[in-house]
Amino acid sequence: MSSEPPASSIFPRTDWAGLGKAAEADEARLDGLIRLYWAPLRIFLVATFPSLKDQAEVLLQEFAEDKILKEGWLRRADRNRGKFRDFLKTSLRHFVLDRLNRAEARHAPISLEELEQELPGPSRPSEEFDLTWIRAVLAETLRWMEADCRDPAADQPRRGFIWEMFRIRLIDPVLNDAPQTPYEELIERFNLKSPTDASNMLLSGKRMFKTHLAKVIKEYAEQDAATAAEIQALEDFVSHLAKRS
Amino acid sequence: MSEFDSAATLSKSPPKSLAALLTAGAERTRLWRPEELSAIFRHQMSSPILVDLGGFDPATATRLKILGEAQCLLLKSFSDLFHHPVPPLELLTLTKDFAKANMDHPESALPQEVAGALYYASIATAMVRLDARISQLKDAELQRGLHWAKDQPWVDGQTREILVQALKKISPDTPAEGPPQ
Repeated sequence: MSSEPPASSIFPRTDWAGLGKAAEADEARLDGLIRLYWAPLRIFLVATFPSLKDQAEVLLQEFAEDKILKEGWLRRADRNRGKFRDFLKTSLRHFVLDRLNRAEARHAPISLEELEQELPGPSRPSEEFDLTWIRAVLAETLRWMEADCRDPAADQPRRGFIWEMFRIRLIDPVLNDAPQTPYEELIERFNLKSPTDASNMLLSGKRMFKTHLAKVIKEYAEQDAATAAEIQALEDFVSHLAKRS
Repeated sequence: MSEFDSAATLSKSPPKSLAALLTAGAERTRLWRPEELSAIFRHQMSSPILVDLGGFDPATATRLKILGEAQCLLLKSFSDLFHHPVPPLELLTLTKDFAKANMDHPESALPQEVAGALYYASIATAMVRLDARISQLKDAELQRGLHWAKDQPWVDGQTREILVQALKKISPDTPAEGPPQ
């Protein structure tokens, strides 16, 4: 993940020039994280508070600036006690409820009916959030893996082949329902010297995928144990959903 | 520029696909489908011996090169080795060891079935061409393995013939085509 301040930050009010180097790097990292997981956060907010749909972007912006980017806020997320995703969802829900309560205090009393509409709903918004989160994690993993494989500075000469092999053997059949490329075609396409050569290329791809997946998750899970637990939690969640559908 | 738009593709993917992709890094899952074994075995048999066996220690790799070249460049592939009238015993033994190592390793790069066929083919070739045993396997166990290998539909005809001849050497009176008693 880049540690440089983004060219166009999602937080225009942040004074990047005024931040110290360490703080700047930290804020930039957070900015990158928020940008990556903006979609699931928005989905969760709208699903939980449907009548606030038109204000979702503004509320999220305020949430990020008032909470996520506030020094020390992320440290409150105890990686050993629960998932970072759950911490984000709970914090966002509380933030919005707090905003609603303040709005209620400033204006005429809202009817009970209107208020009930704003109360946090059932677990469905949470599921949608988690599903969108997983999609973001996987998209980022594949993006980094491809960039790594295509890196011209990399030492391994056939690194580009590793990405192609992984894409046509795994990604395309799984995500695009593409038929499996015949083995003979792989031999020709990648100039494979033996089945061991073919297997090693595919195994290298799998290892790179696994490494990049862990890196993406560690960006928010931070600790190795929490990263491993989060990967397992994501696998369990999506397997459970797959069985249901 | 990347041809693959991961975000766009994933946004439409159902949970089942996401689950399959999340576990894509699992190395113990089978790499190749059973229907690909024929193509893989053909590839193995036509592969240069030095590519696979050259992974042994440097001294062995050098010895391999000498052995292969001593046969006037006729022993380039595993198929050349198994079908040579007088193959070098040392090469057959190294092939057997390579195959065994892959059979025993849970994360072998070679499909277990192909490693198995290579293993029994190298033992059979030594028996048939050189009247030599390069394995400690007892007859009953060897027979079972040779039967298994010759019964695989993806094993080519020439290799199957060597396996059948090896079975006849173990039990001259027992039909080689039937299963072991």
